[in-house]
Amino acid sequence: MFRKLRTLSRYKQHFFSILFSTVCMGTAALISSLYCRFSANAVNITLVFLLFLLLESCAAVTYLYDVLCSLFAVLFLSSLYNASFMEYLFTFFGMSAVTIWTSRLLSRRYARKALTAEQEKCLVRTDMDRIRANLLRAVSHDLRTPLASIMGNSLILLENGSNLDSDEKNRILSYIHEDSSWLSNMTENLLTVTRIRNDDLAITSRNEIVEEVVGEALQKMKRRHPDFRIQAKIPEDIIMIPMDAILIEQVIINLLENALQHSSSAKPIDLLVENTSREAVFTVRDYGQGIPSELMDTLFDGTACTMAHTADSKKGNGIGLAVCKTIIDAHHGSIIGRNHDHGAEFIFTLPGKERGGAA
Amino acid sequence: MNSQIHILTIEDEKSMSSYIATFLNGENYKVSSAMTGSEGLSLAAVLRPDVILLDLGLPDMDGIEVLRRLRSWSRIPIIIVSARHEESEKVMALDQGADDYITKPFGTNELAARIRTCLRHNKSASSKIYRALDLEIQFEKRSIRLRGEQIHLTQIEYQLLTLLAENAGRVLTYNFLMNAIWGPYIDDNNQILRVNMANIRRKIELNPAQPQYVFTEIGIGYRMLENECEA
Repeated sequence: MFRKLRTLSRYKQHFFSILFSTVCMGTAALISSLYCRFSANAVNITLVFLLFLLLESCAAVTYLYDVLCSLFAVLFLSSLYNASFMEYLFTFFGMSAVTIWTSRLLSRRYARKALTAEQEKCLVRTDMDRIRANLLRAVSHDLRTPLASIMGNSLILLENGSNLDSDEKNRILSYIHEDSSWLSNMTENLLTVTRIRNDDLAITSRNEIVEEVVGEALQKMKRRHPDFRIQAKIPEDIIMIPMDAILIEQVIINLLENALQHSSSAKPIDLLVENTSREAVFTVRDYGQGIPSELMDTLFDGTACTMAHTADSKKGNGIGLAVCKTIIDAHHGSIIGRNHDHGAEFIFTLPGKERGGAA
Repeated sequence: MNSQIHILTIEDEKSMSSYIATFLNGENYKVSSAMTGSEGLSLAAVLRPDVILLDLGLPDMDGIEVLRRLRSWSRIPIIIVSARHEESEKVMALDQGADDYITKPFGTNELAARIRTCLRHNKSASSKIYRALDLEIQFEKRSIRLRGEQIHLTQIEYQLLTLLAENAGRVLTYNFLMNAIWGPYIDDNNQILRVNMANIRRKIELNPAQPQYVFTEIGIGYRMLENECEA
């Protein structure tokens, strides 16, 4: 209640502080006058005032209110008892000291708390800025090349179209088609990321049946790559996991696309889902050449593509994995990539129970 | 067929509209194109096309508004063409009376299949038998056979599957299915529908993660494999 007071406007703070002090002092005066009828013990009445002064100082905005309340207490006491001026002066200073000290301690504590909250917010923001910067870097790298190729190739067709034989034309057209479908996939990826709220990396999660999400991802993959082979294995039970299904579908598609493009193997890819009491574990396993060791440390930060380009001429997977990481982080899950005996595998987990605040 | 099937596209992007028109002309459809919502509305009234392809992002008015005005006087099948990623937009369009949707970028095969399905459902009463791959449903006999063997479904599961089979090839929204099976007073939570669908999958699909008959369209609803008897 007292902390809330600090968030009000200055004007209102003073108003409530004065109101509260008045009520405190009024109550103290009432209790002491009632008490006087039964007993004349000056110590207890002073104690009553001291207690209410402490209460008052919790809400005091300036020390002036503390001093005024102490003054009121002393004046009230002087109306009940006869004592020398010096004694009252002593009581007054004592009370003032106690109240001012309390006010000071409390206001410092609130200030420190506010500061920590602000620092935490900053930390989350830098984390997000880092992710966004990585994505942007990956985007500018990965999108420029295919765009340049599309522009160049289409210009050739426009300007020299009549001089080319049909084989050459077809080759150029298939380049254009390949590059543009790749760009379309990337746009899809970037669009999914916009579903994650910018300010706090939050998502709208709903209970989804895992096999439906997996099923649709496989369906889309089949449409893109008709001869693509995969073995999906999910538990017999119906598993419900809170998630943003569109995002998780994108993660599965990205991992499958990666396995398809970078494993350099025709063996079918495995997609396994296992369920533990706390989380669902998804594994995408290929039987190809594995992840090159020099990429291991930077798999998910959007830079992997830059190095991959020197190794082979295939388009990078930089954005795809960075997007996966962003999505899984937003779901409070974890994602890793590693090599097994016959190829590479990517494993991500999603927590099973709805987390407080994540929904 | 003595007269060509007439398709109206309402799409503001010239390159997109020309791509659709070129493809559909090649498929022996007659195509008219409108660039704006209001032009589309008046062309639809004058030409009375057999199918309308409607883009949701139009320059002059909201696609949903065009849909609403079209539906106020006509039952012409409408397929929503949308680049938007938001499922809620598509669900709204479907619940407002659109027959199906297709998301950009789409392949020509997909577009052709959607148009065929729409025309078929508009033309005739649904057939008495659903047959696709190894699954056969005889609606009158209430019999469902998978690879020749009888499949046993609960009452609700049976209703769901036959509803999807009667509309095979078309997407049915969660809302539509909930209303049709449980009535209008059921709450918005579609968990019960999805659990029933999961049970159906376990009875008719070899691998529930790689369905062959009933496909999920996440956030929107379900679509069943096209009926081979109607093709």
